[in-house]
Amino acid sequence: MGETRKPPAGELIPGTLDMLILKTLSRGSMHGYSIAQYIQEASRDVLKVEEGALYPALHRLEVRGLLKSEWGASDNNRRAKFYKLTALGRRELEEEAAYWSRVAAAVTRVMQTA
Amino acid sequence: MIQQLLAIWHRLTALVRRRRLERDLDDEVAFHLAMREADYRRAGFSDAGARDEARRRFGNVTYLKEQTRDMWIFPSFESLRQDVRYALRTLRKSPGFTLVAVFALAVGIGGNTAIFSLMDAVRLQALPYQNPDRLMVLWGNVVRTKVERRGASYPDYLDWKAQATTFDGMAAYDNFSAILALGDEPERITVEMVSPQYFPLLGVNAAHGRTFLEEEDGAANTNAFLLGDALWKRRFGGDPQVVGRAVRLGARSFTIVGVMPPGFKGLTDTAEGWMPFVTAAGGPSAVGERGSRGFQVLGRLKRGVAPAQAQADLDAVSRRLEAAYPDTNSKRAVEVSPLDAETFGPLRPALRTLMAAVIFVLLIACANVANLLIARSEARQREIALRTALGAGWPRLLRQLVTEGCVLTGLGAIVGVLLAQAAMRALVATSPVTFPSFVSPEVNLRVMLFTIAVSLAGGVLLGLAPAAHARIARLAEALKDSSRGSDGRRATRMRSALVVAEVSLAVVLLVGAGLMIRTVRNLMALHPGFDPSSVLSLRISIPRGAPPAAQSTAPPAAAPQTPPPLVASARVVLDRVKAIPGVASASLVSDVPLSGGGAAIFYTAEGQPPVDAQNVPRAYVHRVTPDFFATMRVPVKAGRSFNENEIAPDSTAVVVSERVVTRFWPGQDPIGKRIKQGGLTNKSPWLSIVGVVGEMKYRGLPDNPTPDPDLYFPFVDRAPQVSLVVRTSSPPASLAPSVRAAVRGVDSTITIFDVTPLDELVGQQTAQSRFTMWLMGIFAACALMLAVVGIYGVMSYLVTQRTREIGIRLALGAGGPDILRLVVGNGARMIGAGIAIGVAAAFALQRLVSTLLFGVTAADASSLFAVALLAAIALAACYLPALRATRVSPLNALRYE
Repeated sequence: MGETRKPPAGELIPGTLDMLILKTLSRGSMHGYSIAQYIQEASRDVLKVEEGALYPALHRLEVRGLLKSEWGASDNNRRAKFYKLTALGRRELEEEAAYWSRVAAAVTRVMQTA
Repeated sequence: MIQQLLAIWHRLTALVRRRRLERDLDDEVAFHLAMREADYRRAGFSDAGARDEARRRFGNVTYLKEQTRDMWIFPSFESLRQDVRYALRTLRKSPGFTLVAVFALAVGIGGNTAIFSLMDAVRLQALPYQNPDRLMVLWGNVVRTKVERRGASYPDYLDWKAQATTFDGMAAYDNFSAILALGDEPERITVEMVSPQYFPLLGVNAAHGRTFLEEEDGAANTNAFLLGDALWKRRFGGDPQVVGRAVRLGARSFTIVGVMPPGFKGLTDTAEGWMPFVTAAGGPSAVGERGSRGFQVLGRLKRGVAPAQAQADLDAVSRRLEAAYPDTNSKRAVEVSPLDAETFGPLRPALRTLMAAVIFVLLIACANVANLLIARSEARQREIALRTALGAGWPRLLRQLVTEGCVLTGLGAIVGVLLAQAAMRALVATSPVTFPSFVSPEVNLRVMLFTIAVSLAGGVLLGLAPAAHARIARLAEALKDSSRGSDGRRATRMRSALVVAEVSLAVVLLVGAGLMIRTVRNLMALHPGFDPSSVLSLRISIPRGAPPAAQSTAPPAAAPQTPPPLVASARVVLDRVKAIPGVASASLVSDVPLSGGGAAIFYTAEGQPPVDAQNVPRAYVHRVTPDFFATMRVPVKAGRSFNENEIAPDSTAVVVSERVVTRFWPGQDPIGKRIKQGGLTNKSPWLSIVGVVGEMKYRGLPDNPTPDPDLYFPFVDRAPQVSLVVRTSSPPASLAPSVRAAVRGVDSTITIFDVTPLDELVGQQTAQSRFTMWLMGIFAACALMLAVVGIYGVMSYLVTQRTREIGIRLALGAGGPDILRLVVGNGARMIGAGIAIGVAAAFALQRLVSTLLFGVTAADASSLFAVALLAAIALAACYLPALRATRVSPLNALRYE
């Protein structure tokens, strides 16, 4: 295991990866690679997902029934696994998003008043 | 909650699809890397550079794959696999132990599976009818000194049906035997006479043709008949064109309207044909009598109605009928009894007891194997110590032990289920109890689940025993007890406790088996009032001569006006049978004892004060020829049997059983006293008592269902169906062929049936007790064997443990007998404790089996015998290791140190 998992520069706040995945997938079905790409681009390269870490998260969400997966063909016609939000996932996303904005606003307020 | 369930589901399916998931994950990661690589190449990287960069960005591929995989599986499942593999490996290493343990468990688990599958086979849903929980049998009851089941009359039935509001429908049913005249071979078959509603109520339809139409029942010119599947195949070659054909039953002609599906034998479970109720009875005029009762009624409850509500409903109806028809319906009630209780009722308590017994056997087997496991765990101390040192926590070790136990019980279950399957078939085939024909115990899903549950429970027990033992041992070590002897004693306490438990369970089973054996012996020893040995009984049906069409086999209520004469006289048949060599004596009789025939009448004794309705004298009537009492060896207490002159239709001679005399003329000479049928005002003639005979258990064992006496009338040679009882000087069954030949010799059209030694009829009465006795006996024997093996094992172990101590004792001058006393005394303490607990438990438990017992309680000599037997065998099991101990060479024992 030579390589240790050193946090990359744009490390995520722990626990936010699931939410980001759910949010990303709310736009429609995507495969793992494009999810990683999307998060990076949408955050203007601030958030760099450690790409490998994406997969345990995706599978965990699938086991919990928040995502559904399906094998299909990618743009360049390769076999790829596409993920999609389930109804359960959509609800989870709403809750997490609401919680996130509350917390983020609170944190911002604290940071500004200090 | 949903999420958790989903997760469990996903993970369970993942277990099955393991391989595919693995491949998919590989593909998914490969795809990602390829995409990234392509990006880098487009950005100007070299091929190798692009690949490296893509990998760097992805992270540790193997590690992440592993992480992902973990999302899918229960981590514990993975280690469970390891545990199971490990357990199997260790078991393979000691095949002797494994064999013994698996066999003991297989006996226990197999027994449980077999008995449970029998219980499962007699559950409510086993009835082969639609919604059987709503099917009820309605009994017309009479309240005499106690409530007696009697039956319904047709007018009563019509009123119940019209007035009850809790039923979807009702159907009358009854059965009788009829002679099917077909080709040269007339055959006696059981026919059910049923209301047309009967079939829709049961939810059974004809396989060919149709069942009865409502308007068909009792209509003047339609004699519809339904064939049973077996009869159809046997006598009609399974030809579907048979529908519409005419068939003769007795002297009447019927038209076949349909064939019932395979396996359907009606509620009597023996029917091979069906007739509409009123038609069979002989038309509407034959069933008009409200006081003439004798059949049962099937009812289907409306959806959601409880049997108690239906009972209340019918109670109200009977009260109305009682008010409207006081003559016939006073003290009459209806009893609503669920069909499954009627069908399986007698089997269930026996099976419940057997279930308990077989669970005991399993517990003993578990205790035994637990002991073996403890012995092994001691041998494995080093291994366990090593594993602990390597960081295996206490829970992890416990899990390992429980897994091992479950692997053992699992193997035991596999062998046990195979044993059970073989045993079940044998059980049902040889059972003295006749199971309903549709009962076929099998290892189905429910039985399987039960077996799995039992095995898991057993496995946990097995795992916990060595664990508890190890704990005690560790405790002993921690406390650093000074003397080594007491240290050992602590460690063996667990094993001794198991032996005590085994002994006490075995005692309970042995006492139980003893009680059943005593019950059966009591039943067998019960004098039925006659001597059933060497008596052959048979029934014959003599057809009538040339018809004007009238029936020869009379269904209960049929009364043809002018029947043509029978083709032969029963007296002639009797004379021929008497002439057979080997026949000591023979008699004609209207109904064979214990065969379920016989009719009750009310009678009046001359010069007696009137009695209230509930105590009107009632008796069962049998018509016999003079030799009957001699043939049955019924003692004549006063007077004599009939003489030949009295065997005539207008005879006024009567023989009564003792109870008549004790009731009306105690201490007086009964000869010449008079009785008559019916009430005082009845026009029937007065009959003079010519003889008094002993009471017979004519209608059932261990006792007649009601204490009514028997009246014997002279035989009248005009009934087409009569029975013979034949006392033989050789085994009765061996004479059956010559008796048949003699009867046929009189007239070849006479049908002979129910040729049965009387012994067998007596045997059938005790069948349920014998069934329970045999199985209890087998289980008790298994228990005894297992317990003895267990005791032997532990004693041998203790002797080995104490070799050094014994050696020192011997060296210090103790003699062989001292050592013997020491070791056997040790065992005797365990056995004594086990017996004490077992006897206490047996007394506590006997209440639960009291319905199965007859004339015996746990405080019986047989219990003492059971305990003595166990004690003797158990002590013998101690004696052998003790003997070995006396042969210990002090020198070797000390050198061993």
